[in-house]
Amino acid sequence: MQLTLAIHPVEEIQFGAATQLRQATLDVDQEELRQIVLQDARIESVEFHIVRPGESCRAGPVFDIVEPRAKEPGASPDWPGVLDAPQTAGSGTTHVLQGMAVTALREQSPGESRGATGYILETSGDAAAGSHYATLHHLIMIPHTKADLAAHARHRAYRLAQLRIAVHLARAALTSRPNSMEVFDLSVGNDRAGLPRFAYVGQIFSRQRKPEAEESILYGAGTDGMLPTLLHPNEWLDGALLPSYHGSLGGAETFFYQNHPVINALYHRHRARELNFAGTVATIASADNFDRERNTRFAAHLVKWALRADAAVLTKFGGGVPHTDLAETARLLECDGIKTSVQVTDLARDRRVESALLFNFPEVDAIVCIGGNSTNWRLPRVERVLAANSSLAELLEGPLEMHSLNIIGVANQQGAARLRSVMY
Amino acid sequence: MRVVHYLNQFFGGLGAEERAGGSLEAREGPVGPGKLLEPLLGSSAQVALTLVCGDNYAVENQDAFILAALEKIRSANADLFVAGPCFLAGRYGMAAGALCAAVQSQIGIPVMTGMARENPGADLYREKFYIIDSGENAAKMRNVLEQMAQLAHKLLQSKPIGAPRDEGYIPRGLIRDEFVEKPAGERLVDMALAKFRGEPFESEMAPASFAAVPMPPAVKNLRNAKVMLITDGGLVPKGNPDRIQGSAATRWGAYSVKDRAALRAEDYEISHGGYDAQFVRQDPDRLVPLDVMRELENDGAIGALCDEFISTSGLANPLSNTRRMGREMAEKARSLGVDAIILTST
Repeated sequence: MQLTLAIHPVEEIQFGAATQLRQATLDVDQEELRQIVLQDARIESVEFHIVRPGESCRAGPVFDIVEPRAKEPGASPDWPGVLDAPQTAGSGTTHVLQGMAVTALREQSPGESRGATGYILETSGDAAAGSHYATLHHLIMIPHTKADLAAHARHRAYRLAQLRIAVHLARAALTSRPNSMEVFDLSVGNDRAGLPRFAYVGQIFSRQRKPEAEESILYGAGTDGMLPTLLHPNEWLDGALLPSYHGSLGGAETFFYQNHPVINALYHRHRARELNFAGTVATIASADNFDRERNTRFAAHLVKWALRADAAVLTKFGGGVPHTDLAETARLLECDGIKTSVQVTDLARDRRVESALLFNFPEVDAIVCIGGNSTNWRLPRVERVLAANSSLAELLEGPLEMHSLNIIGVANQQGAARLRSVMY
Repeated sequence: MRVVHYLNQFFGGLGAEERAGGSLEAREGPVGPGKLLEPLLGSSAQVALTLVCGDNYAVENQDAFILAALEKIRSANADLFVAGPCFLAGRYGMAAGALCAAVQSQIGIPVMTGMARENPGADLYREKFYIIDSGENAAKMRNVLEQMAQLAHKLLQSKPIGAPRDEGYIPRGLIRDEFVEKPAGERLVDMALAKFRGEPFESEMAPASFAAVPMPPAVKNLRNAKVMLITDGGLVPKGNPDRIQGSAATRWGAYSVKDRAALRAEDYEISHGGYDAQFVRQDPDRLVPLDVMRELENDGAIGALCDEFISTSGLANPLSNTRRMGREMAEKARSLGVDAIILTST
């Protein structure tokens, strides 16, 4: 399976009469985008805003962040299982508008454990320095849905609108010559026989919550009845996966499935002939011990018998409970002689090492820990606040005290976080 | 920079064990190890005062000892307080630790000490401040004082403090955040590669071990037992009267179920952000099974159900909270004459 990303850098977005890519400037025809969004009768109106990196701006609550990408005709469809038939993603050529994102906002505070503001996009100041998203140009999309919609219908409308807009924008690049090409192909290079085989095991959802109706996570499916499954790494990068709607199960955005830091790191080492990237297992965190036993054993067996791996790296999704699935899978792998490292999030609200982990297996001793619990920012008043309504805008206006975990991207669990816990 | 230095009777030159009962004395200028310490702290540093106290006196009269010492440190206008190093001397370590803690909280100047990891004072105080790992061997005095002086300088200048291994202090068991260049995904792959190759790697977090909880004796006769329900699933009466936080809760509540056969959905809500609570909202008995307990009570399988259940939120709750709340809940249960408790979680 070979995937080629045709990269088109974007250094400027502006509204214009026609959607087109001129060098590194993307002109956006708002009216055209509006028509695409409003084909969904659940959405009554939509706003678009352009935000530049470094601008004194704050936007939220963020629903999702998507990099505009479009498949070349003849390859698999864009967002298989969601916008089109659920065919296998990950091969052919995909055009990428790099350096920008389509960022959709919610109309309501997600509440729950991320607090009233939910995830916010901060594009200036200290807080912005902690998130890759602050380096991007954003086309902010604020959909206004019908008042009486159920949550799942509203979320579905956001998702479809955002993906459609992102694909539409990237199609403007189909006729342009890409600035560079990046090839993702595991079969490159001969004589790799002696290299150790590495697998990636990534949680894509946590069954602490039931997914909503029509919640599209894996090729449009919502993980109901899902068992750990083999995926080619290219499938993660090319549209097989989307994050959950749940704002409080944070740490995953579509952008970092498309630019998956763990998969990219493994590809990098694969190309450098330090290892053989054997493949990936997509799995879920379980709601109870019975499911946990089944899922962790399935995942471990796929790594051992299907991928025949010598080592594996594991990431989790969401909050506390998924730590147990992660650690148990790693333990089973270690018992089978497969070396592991795991990525966890900081759970120690009291800043004590003893409160940080929900497991203690001597074999699971290579731990990357994403920080956040001792970092707060005093966010200043900004020049522009983007939100779906005036009460949300008021909430975000500032100055306000903001926990680092609420700045989208800072505590990303797909491997993008640069904020780490340090024991002292 | 004015420094006050604390020593025990031995390092203060008064004598060995026979002088351990001596009370607090103050000397102008540096004494013993203080003479080594002063130049290490830099040319502007002056050990203005040395406090010397017998180990037995300091430990047995800790309140009076600390009160007297604080007064002398205050009137010396100290910028820095240094104690020891104490190596493996247990009473010395306990006294130095208690004094450092008092100076830090009541005078608010930086404190610095050194102990062996096995010193009981290290275990008791390492979370509160930096303690240089002195080892057991007092012959390493100069090295230990150098490390203490270096770290004290950083504290005085509010410079970032490095890892325990780099600075030489005993790990405090605490966590802080740090931004690093390399994103987590790359660190994850680097670590797996190092582990696979048998190369050294540094885990970013360490699991904690806990002493085993001894199994309590079995309930002798359930038919006579008073049983209580406790949950960490965050079930609270409508309006959450005790304002139990949905995450990292510091509070818990006890709620009456007297004369009730089952819990009604309209009377309760959930304060817990960590699970899908829709099924409990439909029927709170799914979390706090009052209905089933009443059946058992009516059948005589249990003696009685306690009139109150206890609830808190277990989400992301650090051990420092849960230990305290567990003790408080146990006291409450005991005061109600409870013989057995069923814990329900999510």
